[in-house]
Amino acid sequence: MSEITDPRDELIEHLPAMRAFALSLTRNGATADDLVQDALVKAWDNLDKFEPGTNMRAWLFTILRNTYYSLHRKRKREVEDPDGVLASHLSEKPHHDGRLALEDFKTAFAELTDEQREALILVGAEGFSYEEAAATCGCAVGTIKSRVNRARARLAELMHLDDTDDLEMTDATTLAGLSGASTA
Amino acid sequence: MEEQIDANLRRVYADTVQEEVPERFLKLLDELREKGKAVPDSEADS
Repeated sequence: MSEITDPRDELIEHLPAMRAFALSLTRNGATADDLVQDALVKAWDNLDKFEPGTNMRAWLFTILRNTYYSLHRKRKREVEDPDGVLASHLSEKPHHDGRLALEDFKTAFAELTDEQREALILVGAEGFSYEEAAATCGCAVGTIKSRVNRARARLAELMHLDDTDDLEMTDATTLAGLSGASTA
Repeated sequence: MEEQIDANLRRVYADTVQEEVPERFLKLLDELREKGKAVPDSEADS
């Protein structure tokens, strides 16, 4: 066999993506990097369980999200204060050329549930197949699909993209209250 | 609409991915590597 690459050497290539995924989960830079650090140590210690030739990024993301959820459960609401994103308000209307203001997008994204954020990132940003995303999140393919759909619908709603104009309110808390009622 | 959302998503995500990996992670990997060398699993010691 020709040179078999040591998975340890491969880890570093996935670091930027791990940080991005962690940030989308935690919505806070410092917490995200702590999470990456924990996940990295875990991945390193368990590298013998990684099957060479399979998707290392998906494997790392699985570790990362498991780490996040166990931490999250422990800390409960303490980590719920992202970099002020929730506190900032959405601007009143989308730009008339239909382009979204990036900051508004970030704010809206931060309002999604954990499950919606991770599903959307994996499928929409990382380009995972629904199957890969489902495996990474340990859930059914249909679950991922509906999370992605709900995440997109929610973003559209928060960004006022749902071409109805009845959601003219600008107060983020009002919006949040509304959404709570509509998710049932 | 879906395209707009995904385009923004990818842009935000790409911004983060393109950030340089902080020094702490490179250090951490070095440390892990060193640790691995220092303790060659079972075969060392008796």
